[in-house]
Amino acid sequence: MTPAVTFSFFGTLLLINGIAFLRRSWLGKRPRNLLSLIFGWFAVVAGIALFCHAWGGEVGMAYALLVFSLAAFLVIAFGIEDRSHRRQKVRDVAPEPEERLTNWRRATAKALLSIVLAGVAAIGIGVAFAVSAPMETHDRIVIGGLLVPVLWGGGMAWTLADAKLLRATLLLLLISALSYGIAFLPKALAL
Amino acid sequence: MTSPKTSSPTHKRPLLPPKFVQAMLAGHSALGLAFAALIYIVCLTGTIAVFMFELQRWEQPDIAPIPHSVSAEVVANALQAGQRQALADNAAHDLFIMGPNPHSGYARLAVGYRDHETDVRGDWIANADGDLVARAQAPWTTFVTVLHGSLHLPHTWGAFLVGLTGVALLSSLVSGLLSHPRMFKDAFHLRWGGSRRLQDADLHNRLGVWGLPFHFVVSLSGALIGLATLVVGVLALAAYDGDTEKAFAAILGPHAGPDESAGPLPDIAAMIRAVQAAKPDAVFTSANFDHIAKADQVVHLGMRAPGHLPLANVYYFKGDGMALGDGGLEEGGIGQQILGVLQPLHFGWFGGIPVKLAYGVLGIALSIVTYTGVTIWLSRRRDKGRPAPGWEKIWAGVGWGQPLALGLSALAALYLGSPIIIPAYLAASALAILFALGCRSGTAAAAILRTASAFVLLAVVFAHLTIWNGRVVDTMGVAVDTTLLLVALGLLMPLAKRRSGVNTMAPSLTK
Repeated sequence: MTPAVTFSFFGTLLLINGIAFLRRSWLGKRPRNLLSLIFGWFAVVAGIALFCHAWGGEVGMAYALLVFSLAAFLVIAFGIEDRSHRRQKVRDVAPEPEERLTNWRRATAKALLSIVLAGVAAIGIGVAFAVSAPMETHDRIVIGGLLVPVLWGGGMAWTLADAKLLRATLLLLLISALSYGIAFLPKALAL
Repeated sequence: MTSPKTSSPTHKRPLLPPKFVQAMLAGHSALGLAFAALIYIVCLTGTIAVFMFELQRWEQPDIAPIPHSVSAEVVANALQAGQRQALADNAAHDLFIMGPNPHSGYARLAVGYRDHETDVRGDWIANADGDLVARAQAPWTTFVTVLHGSLHLPHTWGAFLVGLTGVALLSSLVSGLLSHPRMFKDAFHLRWGGSRRLQDADLHNRLGVWGLPFHFVVSLSGALIGLATLVVGVLALAAYDGDTEKAFAAILGPHAGPDESAGPLPDIAAMIRAVQAAKPDAVFTSANFDHIAKADQVVHLGMRAPGHLPLANVYYFKGDGMALGDGGLEEGGIGQQILGVLQPLHFGWFGGIPVKLAYGVLGIALSIVTYTGVTIWLSRRRDKGRPAPGWEKIWAGVGWGQPLALGLSALAALYLGSPIIIPAYLAASALAILFALGCRSGTAAAAILRTASAFVLLAVVFAHLTIWNGRVVDTMGVAVDTTLLLVALGLLMPLAKRRSGVNTMAPSLTK
């Protein structure tokens, strides 16, 4: 085994152990399980550090996060609770989404708001960043581009959760006007 | 996402106000239901696309793989052979060479060329000496990757729709987290059996939360790749006089100029050696010749140095060998490095087969998260006395119809070739939904379609083994067949357990 593979092996063990200790801590009552919590996080951090040491920060972090997720799935799989013969308790019931009166007109308005207007605003901010941020051309274009899905996704989540359509509409319109103003201002001034 | 418990045994003040959680959950449900089928198809095909290079080899297993990187002389030979073939096919405009890369799992030397004006193209596989040995033929892999990238719609629109699906997934991750107030407390609960809603909610939340780094990275990178044309289009309007190519060139490097008079064939071996003089451990991964053998040609040479995530850094050269700089994908600015990691992080092409297998598991997990998102909603309706049996059947038809349709399309590709793949896939997808509607319940439809998917996968393995019998020289052909066999057996397992009296199948929605 190469040193990198050996480090990865021990890193994987640490991550599995760390998550197992976190499980013990989170399923128990504090402060009795505080030690498990501390050891769990310490082992997780140490496992990630071993991966980074073995493969370098860039590749090691990517490997560690993959193993982290898979290790958690493994720990959960070992702790499956079979409830085939148990009755459901009241406290097991999931929270309910907010009951909202809706109609086709409102649903269409929500869809337009979350998909179209949130998208327009997100692209506006991304392009404004790509045009005006004080960075190298590559950096501002790529970061501006990266901002678009993040902001669009955030905007979608917010507009769909917010029952007040007018508030979201006005805010998104304002953001769009400002961002496109910033994005196209240099071009307008050059004319 | 839904949390399995509402009331805490302790009387702590909740981290998120219940009203806020309910509002987020309502938004999460609406978004999830609106985009569920698209997200599911994109996730499932994306999981398969992770193994694109392996599937290409499975579709053409009579060509020996090249496990290690190739020398500069081999690349030069491949270039000359490719150019000769491109001239013979009257398509010598742009030429592309892709070499073996253990980092991404690509184990072939491929040469492609195309003429954008006549739309003539050719894709070849070269041997370890750089001689062209066969035309590349992987129609099913191409079908799945195009389905994942643009849903077989006109490319711009399809990519935009997939990008929008990525945004919806990203948004669902945000709203899911915010509607999950007991994320840490419930982080390890997985209750199986009993209430279907509780079981699916646990599965949905556990796979969703613990796989979050992966889910976030693939949805963000996928959304950015899909929306790139739209975003760069607006950027071009704002800063590049509407010239999209100019805007793309600002981030993707220089392109060939307008002078199309004859020029020399680039000395690619010298270019590779020039890069290796500065970076001795860099190896060849790809070369893109824009307007090959023309006066204004430009070469994009991909060379990979160890210790980095990108598939390679790109070095730009003029046709006469003059260096024009590099893309900085490995050690450049933050934007350049982000650009470099987008593709490997999205597809899991940065650690060979182990990383791809991890991506496979996490991709299936994301598909399950999407599938159970809808079944939770359906179960909730049933629990509240407002069942939607029609939608339960349709969703079973969508969810289990996809493996079936993808399997049948692979079978069609093996026996009938490329033209029949899309019709076979569309017909199977539609028929699966119609069949599900005719079943007595969604659970019954799911069980039958899952069993049918398993038998179709077995048929694919049988077809592949008989078609390529005695001609397989690439062990990947056998490895993929074995994997498909195991997947088929896995799909049949609930059926076998039920017959032997052990009922571990998911409880019926009617329970």
